[in-house]
Amino acid sequence: MTGHDAVFLLVALFTGGAALLTVTSKNLFHAALFLAATLAGIAGVFLVLRADFLALVQLVVYVGAVAVLFLFGLMVTRAPIGREALDGQNRGLALAVSGTLFVVLSGLIIQSFGGVRAAEVTGPGIREIGIAIFAHWVLPFELLSMLLLAALIGAILLARRESGESGEESVERRIDFGDEPSTEAGAQALPAADTAGELPAGEPVAGGER
Amino acid sequence: MTDLVLEQAVTFAAQSASLLTFDSFLLSVAAKIAFALGLFFVVPLVGGYMEHKVMARMQHRRGPVEAGPFGSLQLVADGIKFIQKEDIIPRAADKWVFAAAPGVALVPGMLIFLVIPLGPGVFALDLELGLFYALAISSISVLGILMGGWASANKFSLIGGLRAGGQLIAYELPLILAAITVAVQAQTLSLVGIVEAQSTFMLPGTDINVWFVFPQIIGFGIFFIAAMAELSRPPFDMPIADSELVFGYMTEYTGIKFAMFLLTEYGGMIIMSALMVVLYLGGWQLLPGVPLPGCDGAGGLFDCGWLGTLAGVGITLGKIMALVFVMVWLRVAYPRLREDQLQRMAWIVLVPLALLNLAVVTVAKVVF
Amino acid sequence: MATTSAPGVGLLKGLGVTIKHLFKQPATQMYPKQRPDLAPRTRGVIALMDENCTVCMLCSRECPDWCIYIESHKETVPPAKEGGRARTRNVLDRFAIDFSLCMYCGICVEVCPFDALWWSPEFEYAEYDMGKLLHEKEKLREWMDTVPAPPMLEEGAVAPAEVTDAIAKKEKELEAEAEKQREASAAAEAPKSKAVESGGGAPKKADVEVKGAGEIDQETFDKLIAEGKSERIARSKAKAAWVRKEKERLRAEQESAEGGAEGEGAGEEAAAKPKAAQVEVEAGQIDQETYDKLIGEGKSERMARAKAKAAYVRKERARLTAEQETASAEPATDDAQADDAGAVEGADAEPAPAQKVADVHVEGTGEIDQETFDRLIAEGKSERIARSKAKAAWVRKEKQRIIDEGGDA
Repeated sequence: MTGHDAVFLLVALFTGGAALLTVTSKNLFHAALFLAATLAGIAGVFLVLRADFLALVQLVVYVGAVAVLFLFGLMVTRAPIGREALDGQNRGLALAVSGTLFVVLSGLIIQSFGGVRAAEVTGPGIREIGIAIFAHWVLPFELLSMLLLAALIGAILLARRESGESGEESVERRIDFGDEPSTEAGAQALPAADTAGELPAGEPVAGGER
Repeated sequence: MTDLVLEQAVTFAAQSASLLTFDSFLLSVAAKIAFALGLFFVVPLVGGYMEHKVMARMQHRRGPVEAGPFGSLQLVADGIKFIQKEDIIPRAADKWVFAAAPGVALVPGMLIFLVIPLGPGVFALDLELGLFYALAISSISVLGILMGGWASANKFSLIGGLRAGGQLIAYELPLILAAITVAVQAQTLSLVGIVEAQSTFMLPGTDINVWFVFPQIIGFGIFFIAAMAELSRPPFDMPIADSELVFGYMTEYTGIKFAMFLLTEYGGMIIMSALMVVLYLGGWQLLPGVPLPGCDGAGGLFDCGWLGTLAGVGITLGKIMALVFVMVWLRVAYPRLREDQLQRMAWIVLVPLALLNLAVVTVAKVVF
Repeated sequence: MATTSAPGVGLLKGLGVTIKHLFKQPATQMYPKQRPDLAPRTRGVIALMDENCTVCMLCSRECPDWCIYIESHKETVPPAKEGGRARTRNVLDRFAIDFSLCMYCGICVEVCPFDALWWSPEFEYAEYDMGKLLHEKEKLREWMDTVPAPPMLEEGAVAPAEVTDAIAKKEKELEAEAEKQREASAAAEAPKSKAVESGGGAPKKADVEVKGAGEIDQETFDKLIAEGKSERIARSKAKAAWVRKEKERLRAEQESAEGGAEGEGAGEEAAAKPKAAQVEVEAGQIDQETYDKLIGEGKSERMARAKAKAAYVRKERARLTAEQETASAEPATDDAQADDAGAVEGADAEPAPAQKVADVHVEGTGEIDQETFDRLIAEGKSERIARSKAKAAWVRKEKQRIIDEGGDA
């Protein structure tokens, strides 16, 4: 085992651990943070495999943008401040799907690159990547960007208010926002615990209603 | 084991040699780390001191006067004070995330100093992807801010973190687009290479040597505004907005953690100024087309002797401080924007303008 | 972005304003290192002139914070005159202001009827302990030295009653003193010139016999009336003054008979250095205006005449003083005028040294009495207090010196 392998192993362990924690974490925000760590770990794997450009792309796109957008979205919508336990009901299904995916993907990868030693890999330079993308593969690249553009426009269309809708509606929607079940559950859980501790036991205040 | 890592390092780095590269690998590593850390911990203090003084004088005050000669050690004194303060963690806070946030915000700043060239040969690394590296790493510190805002279990912190997230996502786009335009013109992503390209760039049709700020004045403006917003500097300090949000995502932080956030901001000012100097203002050249003393040898920009090297470092630092001065000046002159004005400015003005700039420069590059 | 016709102009203007201010001097006053630039009558602390305090308790009662503590006891003062009534007087034992309670409203200063409380610009009396902010009357009295002198009266304003009273009192004292001196000098000279009359040889007051029954000294009478004394007192005092003058005249006659050139010499000396204080006016004329006014007000003719005379004297004195001042301002002194003044002085038998005291004006521009200063510093007083006290001491000494010189003359 060379030093290179050792570094790879360390990075891989970090990435794998973070990925595991992402799915087992009960706090949504923590899960998102572990996801960010996983993505950063993948960038580390790229770096070890001498794909510097890809590593940096991974960092700027996934850690700097996607993970941040996840966190941002979480904070805008659910804002689970403090400790909050979340759990999905589909653990078994999820395990089955991801397990199958893992087996299929690792089988494919080992079949294709099983004989290549990581230390011998030399990644292409930035110049080669540029020429490859913008000369040989320019059509797929542009098609992909069209796809992204379509997704973007679609998102705007979905989020946009209809022309007939007025400002009043937005007020109403804001109230709806506050009454979202999950937020309410979170909001009620904490004060209930507080009042139970503070009020005398004989008082049948909020506790009786629940 | 070391030889393999060394091999790795060699492929990862350097067309042009850094002065900090020695025969011994470990010595080189130590020297480079010391260089980056020294830059990170000293230059921001100078910038901060200047901010204190300039802002004070613009407001008819004196600024710090007691600590050190003319108050120059005020920030050092502040640092010592921060270290002594109690480290308070709110009971409802998410302890680990709360504690990790300042580090996540701070470390990227340190890493960026690795690629910033201060003078001929005075840099830690000359990455082939230097510019991309700097921008990619700087985008990570948003995570730290979001983490701090969320983990504080405080609504002001949360709103501050949200604003910071929205702002940093919005302004990263024009920032990167403006930087890409420079890369297109220089035909390289290496920061040293960009400086070199500016020393040979001639105005089309003439033999007048100019820096990139002249053909790309719009790009420079976009980069400057976006950099100020990225750093949450006034007038773009909505994430902190002390009149509305107490102190935004830093509200619950005390002591050394707070100091780390502050250092991130001051370090960020230096990083962004340094990037602007490298991208637009010709790096360590005194004037367009004027070589440094001793730099007219065969090595051109890089073989300058110790006098030219020192002069180059001085010129770069001087330019950085001049840009910091402008940032402070803008801070004093302008009131804070509103959140919607900020977003509108990013998406409706800066992004299209930056795209247009990129298109024009690319076409011009092909035509001339 | 800007909707105005010239977008961005406002932004540039803002930058211009800030950069302009960068080069202006900061407004900061570096207080502990530099003295702050305070107005002379800054309300820093409340000082107490405890001699003026009559323990009327007004300040203590008016104080909204109840931060003034006063303690006193009563003393019986023996009657001023034989057969009078003994009076009781309040004596101040303790006067303390708790500056940790005081809100510096200044009501006590306003309300004090006897000018015992004053605003002092002293402000450096912070303490590390709140209890130490309770200051007793000794400390409050110390601050009195830092109180700036009251502003000068307006030109031609009538002097306040206290001042004229004080002048009259001092006048009397000095007169008595001068008399004593004159007697002493006469006693000293007597054996020199001639072996005079009886006994021990020294001429005494009693030696000169004055025959007078009812004559009064009109001048004194007029003056006293003008000062607002009752007619009865004025008359008796004037009578006494007449006797005094007469005695003096007789003695002077005696002495001149003995061949004294001193009188003349004295006159010359006085003429040599005319002072504002020494202006004398020959009484006798009246100020018609005042006279008419008083008559119009229904005063008796005699009263009106006296007051008018006094008014005339006042006016004349002011005029002469002004003249002299202008004369002495020029280096080439008008000899004639000086002689004139001397003549006036000489002609008037009664020198009025009291006015001298009152009018001695010492021009103190910062000189301090080094001795006092050193002593106070050695006692541990603050430099500021020491300086102001030393200044006051210097002024006192200077005054004394001038008075002494005047006395010599």
